[in-house]
Amino acid sequence: MPKGAFNGPLERVNDCCWRIPKSYKQGMLVDGLIYADDQLIEQIRHDQAAEQVANVAFLPGIQHASLAMPDIHWGYGFCIGGVCATDPNEDGVISPGGVGYDINCGVRLVRSNLFYQDVKPHLTALVDELFRNVPAGVGRGGKYHFNKKELRRLLGEGPAFLRDRELTTDGDLEHTEARGYLSNAVPDNVSDRALERGAKQCGTLGSGNHFMEVQVVDAVFDETAAQTMGLAKDMVCVMIHSGSRGLGYQVCDDALKKFRSVPEKYGIALPDRQLACAPINSDEGQEYLGAMCAAANYAWCNRQLLMHQARESFQTVFGRTWQKLQMNLVYDVAHNIAKFEEHTTGGTTRKVWVHRKGATRAFPPNHAEVPAIYRGVGQPVIIPGDMGRASWVLVGQSGSMDQTFGTACHGAGRAMSRTAAVKHAQGRRIDKELAAKGIIARAQSWRGLAEEQPDAYKDVNLVVDVVHKANLATKVARMRPIGVVKG
Amino acid sequence: MFETFEHTADLGLRIRATTQEQLLEDAGRGLFSMLVTNLEDVRCLQERTYRVEGVATDYLLFDWLNELLFTFESERLLLSEFHVVLDAEGLWATANGEPMDLARHRMEHEVKAITYHGLRVEKDAVGWFAELIVDI
Repeated sequence: MPKGAFNGPLERVNDCCWRIPKSYKQGMLVDGLIYADDQLIEQIRHDQAAEQVANVAFLPGIQHASLAMPDIHWGYGFCIGGVCATDPNEDGVISPGGVGYDINCGVRLVRSNLFYQDVKPHLTALVDELFRNVPAGVGRGGKYHFNKKELRRLLGEGPAFLRDRELTTDGDLEHTEARGYLSNAVPDNVSDRALERGAKQCGTLGSGNHFMEVQVVDAVFDETAAQTMGLAKDMVCVMIHSGSRGLGYQVCDDALKKFRSVPEKYGIALPDRQLACAPINSDEGQEYLGAMCAAANYAWCNRQLLMHQARESFQTVFGRTWQKLQMNLVYDVAHNIAKFEEHTTGGTTRKVWVHRKGATRAFPPNHAEVPAIYRGVGQPVIIPGDMGRASWVLVGQSGSMDQTFGTACHGAGRAMSRTAAVKHAQGRRIDKELAAKGIIARAQSWRGLAEEQPDAYKDVNLVVDVVHKANLATKVARMRPIGVVKG
Repeated sequence: MFETFEHTADLGLRIRATTQEQLLEDAGRGLFSMLVTNLEDVRCLQERTYRVEGVATDYLLFDWLNELLFTFESERLLLSEFHVVLDAEGLWATANGEPMDLARHRMEHEVKAITYHGLRVEKDAVGWFAELIVDI
């Protein structure tokens, strides 16, 4: 066992699920359940992520189990890949750590009517243009500026606010989770500091694992669902991964500072300070929820503006409008969020706050919250992989409602720490290695590229196999990257 | 003296110092070393002053670093030299640096936040020791 490995019990439930019994630690209110196969569970044992799954089971009001998706890795407080649903009527809590600093970090996929052979001769020019046009990296501001009054409207309305500026369309809203708008948003709960951090960052990518990629549909597994989404083999798409930028980070930070003494006030014992929480029905809980939902609306605006800039770049390179290029939004999903949803557990249907910390909503066919166009096939679930191998489009299935509060995985999950990835790179030019595989990569820093190299991640295909087998979400299409823009 | 250490998705910062003041000063340098690779090239052209209240040593470190991060986030000011004085209610500090200049400064990580996970500040016979993890 490597140093720092998880030594607690992991009992096999079936081929793709493992249990940490609640008897493992005094204070656990429910079991922990980790979705993984034999190969992934071995990797998961290597760090303290499973311990974090057990710690989340301490949260008051938690229902069914503390859940983890197969891309689980060690986070702070919550593991990345964690899911926790709490019932407000059973003194359930809301935990900012269960949403994360990057509130409504998420992914969107944009299709086009271009195919690989159309784009290949222009690929370098296209990636260079995206790199020039889309602000990325530490400290780079965006070109969209909002004064405080406008920013508060944006926080209250989400991307619908951008309609007047012709930066969003009804089609875009229709293809965004929750239409890009959480009605619980209270912009006045967002601090001046958060507004200041967010004022110039809407429409910027950021750094770390955020990216914009040009991808090609590499294989189609579900023709009906792919057609419904407008996807076909060899079609060129754009995938965008970013969140609520400094505004969201500050909202989380503000809440955690206010929550320092809150668990004690309400008699909540926690094994990790980063799990700080407040009863949903308390003043503190409600204040955070209002601010968190506002930050989520900001994040949808950020990805909307990033998509707009991607469309601009395609227009520049291909000399046609984005409408002529049919660059329509397939779907936008959040993977760091808490949502108030109806679920059935133990035979009882109730509304719970579902924390998804590095996990994606995956509602099945016929669910009322799935846009009408996708109601026959299920909600699109967009899973970014790594910059060298693949990303995936899935659709939610009924197994997610039965097992995971309508949730599937969110990515590949890290296999190496950032430090280990840089050591592993040994000064190699990752961009040149990718170029040899036909992938043009542009990044603001060599180190950033080394930290995010394909080897630093688990194989996303293994993660998706588990989700597919467990019937949480099923495969629609696999995408391969051909152009990468990183901070 | 500071060093970074491994954490799967994020980065850890470890600081050792003979006094608490020095611990806080080195933590400031450690934070900015994550933001910019060539911190030694950041000139001291502008000064900012800080007052951070608090008696718990861990929260004082946390709040101090948060103030510095906010300075960078709101003003794009890179800070490289720090002077900290403690009193009974917290700290007074000055920090010096210059505005970020992409032509001269090699920017590295975007630090989203300082986290509470694994946050510790300890004093022993040798001096002061702190560890924290930042969200990247």
